Amino acid sequence: QSSSVSAPPVCILVDSRCLSGGSELMTSLRQRHAATLHVCSLDGSYFIVSNRTAVEKHSQSDLAAMQNRKRLAERVNSLQGLFERVCLIVEKDRSKPGEASRPFQRTRCYDSTLTALVSTGVRLLWSDGAEQSAGLLADLARLEQRKGQAISVPLEVKGSHRQQALQLYLGLPSVSYVHALSLSHNFSSIAQLINSSIEAIQKGGSMSRSRAEEIYRFLRYSCDSFMMNSSTAGKSS
Amino acid sequence: MESKAPSLLNAVPPYGHVITSEKWRNSSLIQSLKGGGVNILFENELGVADFHLPNKSCILYVSECDIIAGNSYKRKLVRYRNTSSSFQELVLVEKTRLSEQNFSAVQKFVVLDLGLTLLPVSGQTEASQLISQIVHGEGRENPFRRRSSSRLLDPKVLVLVQRVPGVGGVKALALLQEFSSVHQLCNAAPHELEPIVGQATAQQIHSFFHKATAAGT
Repeated sequence: QSSSVSAPPVCILVDSRCLSGGSELMTSLRQRHAATLHVCSLDGSYFIVSNRTAVEKHSQSDLAAMQNRKRLAERVNSLQGLFERVCLIVEKDRSKPGEASRPFQRTRCYDSTLTALVSTGVRLLWSDGAEQSAGLLADLARLEQRKGQAISVPLEVKGSHRQQALQLYLGLPSVSYVHALSLSHNFSSIAQLINSSIEAIQKGGSMSRSRAEEIYRFLRYSCDSFMMNSSTAGKSS
Repeated sequence: MESKAPSLLNAVPPYGHVITSEKWRNSSLIQSLKGGGVNILFENELGVADFHLPNKSCILYVSECDIIAGNSYKRKLVRYRNTSSSFQELVLVEKTRLSEQNFSAVQKFVVLDLGLTLLPVSGQTEASQLISQIVHGEGRENPFRRRSSSRLLDPKVLVLVQRVPGVGGVKALALLQEFSSVHQLCNAAPHELEPIVGQATAQQIHSFFHKATAAGT
């Protein structure tokens, strides 16, 4: 029902770190769901399924362990800065071959992590394994496609100058890889973007108004105070 | 029957309390909630929701039986979604060995079609643990609440300028002392850049900003 014949294939950006141990998922996305995938280097191991949605995958035991909480909170925070929508696929732990699958022990930490995630607006999805996770990613991408939010620019940027421009765009505040990709394809030069109105940035970057405003302000931000009294700044980073 | 006492649809229980309907009175879920120190208020005009919680969320409970019995729970879910309440609407779904094979379809309906939040539980015991966690966790600091990131833009501008080929830390700093924003730097003519970074780099910077990037468009 959901896979209508006329719909173009869905496009998904995949961080290279998702590849290790994720071959089953990738194969399923490509073969069963006919998704167009592009592996790139994102700032964390996650998937981008539309202009505004990122999806991260965690195992159930990941969420149940107290020591992971801080790191998870940082990841979620940073994704929420880059994307309008953040989804988390919670995948059942894989049992080792030959080992009887142990029932998952629900902890208080697990419940409070779930509660906290839900109240911050993270959307949770539940999966029994790689195959189902692939299905959920494809479903999400298709849903976003129906809402007019599909990634519509080419997933690759060719040529060294264009690559350098992409890297520059990635340095803009609150700009995700998919925004940077749209900017690369929709502006004829970096100068054209820099001299654009908020409306033009919003349109060319396929992004929200507030994000476009942030970029516009950043490009015109005058930074004398900091420069004057920190001669060492150039050596860091 | 649906227009009765609409005000109760948005009743928020006091801290440490849960409002639920009479039909849950003798359930194991309510028993273990009580055991967990949660106070229960019974109210029969609650609407579609099964529970109202003090953090302004409500819960619809979909049992194993509901799922296996067929489609009537779907109508209930739609009504639940369409209730114009100011609550965050959660759906607890029993995922058991019997309902497992339907879970995928239920999830698709609840999360992707209706846009509600689904939390699977193995049964009423797990549900009560989760509910008491929500009730008691209220007021505690949420580590996932987004903190506003540092507003200091200067270092970010400096890092960005260093992404221009040929420009390192020292040159970036010198350039920003003369042209204080990315916008000004981009619109500087090569002869204006030259005294700061030399002729070759001046040319390189200018052409980096102005050279065509979009492919054939």
